[in-house]
Amino acid sequence: MAREIVIEPVTRIEGHAKITIQLDDDGQVADARFHVTQFRGFERICQGRPVHELPSLMARICGICPVSHLIASAKACDEILATEPPPTAVALRRIMNLAQVVQSHALSFFHLSSPDLLFGFDAEAGGRHLFRVLGANPQLARDGVGLRRFGQQVIESLGGKRIHPAWVVPGGVDAPLQAETRDQILAALPEARSATDRALAWYKASAQRFAEEAARFGDFPSAFMGLVGPDGAVEHYDGALRVVGADGATLAERPDPRPYWEYLGEAVEPWSYLKSAYWKDLGYPEGIYRVGPLARLNVADTMGSPRADEELEAFRARLGRTPGSSFHYHHARLIEILGCLERLEGLLRDPDICSPRVRSTAGVNREEGIGVAEAPRGTLLHHYRVDRDGIVQWANLVIATGHNNLAMNKSVAQVARHYVKADRLTEPMLNRVEAVIRCYDPCLSCSTHAIGQMPLHLQLVASDGTVLDERRR
Amino acid sequence: MNDAGVLVVGYGNPLRGDDGIGWHAASLLASDPRLAGARVLARHQLVPELAVDVSRASLVVLIDAAANGEPGSISVRRVQPGQPVLAALSHHLDPPALAGLAEALYGAVPPIVLVSVAAGSLAEGDRLSAALEVALPAVAQVVAKVVTGRQRQLS
Repeated sequence: MAREIVIEPVTRIEGHAKITIQLDDDGQVADARFHVTQFRGFERICQGRPVHELPSLMARICGICPVSHLIASAKACDEILATEPPPTAVALRRIMNLAQVVQSHALSFFHLSSPDLLFGFDAEAGGRHLFRVLGANPQLARDGVGLRRFGQQVIESLGGKRIHPAWVVPGGVDAPLQAETRDQILAALPEARSATDRALAWYKASAQRFAEEAARFGDFPSAFMGLVGPDGAVEHYDGALRVVGADGATLAERPDPRPYWEYLGEAVEPWSYLKSAYWKDLGYPEGIYRVGPLARLNVADTMGSPRADEELEAFRARLGRTPGSSFHYHHARLIEILGCLERLEGLLRDPDICSPRVRSTAGVNREEGIGVAEAPRGTLLHHYRVDRDGIVQWANLVIATGHNNLAMNKSVAQVARHYVKADRLTEPMLNRVEAVIRCYDPCLSCSTHAIGQMPLHLQLVASDGTVLDERRR
Repeated sequence: MNDAGVLVVGYGNPLRGDDGIGWHAASLLASDPRLAGARVLARHQLVPELAVDVSRASLVVLIDAAANGEPGSISVRRVQPGQPVLAALSHHLDPPALAGLAEALYGAVPPIVLVSVAAGSLAEGDRLSAALEVALPAVAQVVAKVVTGRQRQLS
């Protein structure tokens, strides 16, 4: 008799979701589904709005990574206006996006995941939170708070506010960088670097404790996708889109990633509002790939900065050229924070960074535009069509969590297969189902970690609808 | 990056009517000569990273909307450092937890005063209700009184 475990609601996440785990007639896990049950409709909401409003409007998609939506949207609008932002404007956009990666990764690693890593996945759930981290490892807690504050302050000092700054506009940015602001950011960088170094040292010393989880948390062969610069280095703002296989071999490299429909498909399933992106050449659902920090490290040749490259080399020496376990997203996040801080410094020391020329202006010159950038969680595509007056007629967004959707489903199934025993719901299974989703840091999981658990409702349901087992926590 | 003597933080959701009273008050107080030298912030929530700023301040005044009470009525109370409510640990904290985090992380927590303003409407919109529009100058007056009173104590 086929049975099903339902985890619902998966709450305190950026949206609403549930997880179902289907058992076969023998009581073994047959499949798992991560359902996103909230409908938001930004692609429809923006229709009828003028193109100049789009970056600010689209930034409202997310309160954690609004800057990335702002930038992808502004790039799409640049194309519609047929403008080229001045070089200083591009550099300033890059700085804001790098700061966004730093603060978002800091939230994920320190605030949300470090309690699991510090106390273990079977620690009492209510005790897995930042305050307890503070008691056990106060420096780790201080470094997490400090790094997130650093990233947020850079965003605020550039854009006027931490969340939903409207400073990135079609054609460039709204105001130049002041020398005083530049100097304040530069003065804060050494401590941010030190905090990242300490966290990396702590993580590497602790990683061996999690060999079992690393082998079960989304450890499967798949492709990886991300932007790379002309030198093959990790790239967050522009560049070619590279896809590598599980062995690290390049499967494709698109110098112009904008015509995404040529290589990506977006499948829609009746059980979720989250689309499942897939690599067209491999078909659906075989065309599974991953994006985000681990993917960016796996597709790139280098990090493009000295200290981060040292860490990348050590990462690959320990785990191989293309680590396949999603558990390693945690380590990749820390390396990427380090790389972002190094790049921030390089950009800020450019003699033209305070140039007053930061915006090109133009009217509507094209009726279609596509913006591609890397958000903290992975590749982000904004695609708009407008009429001759610049009024939006149609929009499509492909977001990081959609790219990772197939991988998240597969990861949940892998964890469930190992930890679900017959018709019983166990604490180790619940803890690890939460934790494997956490590795991807989808916007869907932003707030689930800090108390060590998601509020869960699990049901084990027989094919005739009988509830065989049920648990809430 | 900035150290502040007095820190004023108005917080809430400015798109939910009177829940934005902290933002409106912060906007008013930013240019108030009675708060000269103070650092005035508007925030959606009390987030963990504010603990750094709190620990460096000589006085913190928080301004928030309250769900109960006669709309526009103002209450003032001292905040004591406490433990967080478990449901509010990742993105935001309540005032006692923010104070507790500052104390635990940095070993310092100044006097913290919470100015609460009873909301009349929390419906969607960026405007205050009539009752809170009327109360807004009084909110600024209360905050200024707290700040100047503290400054007199220290001088």
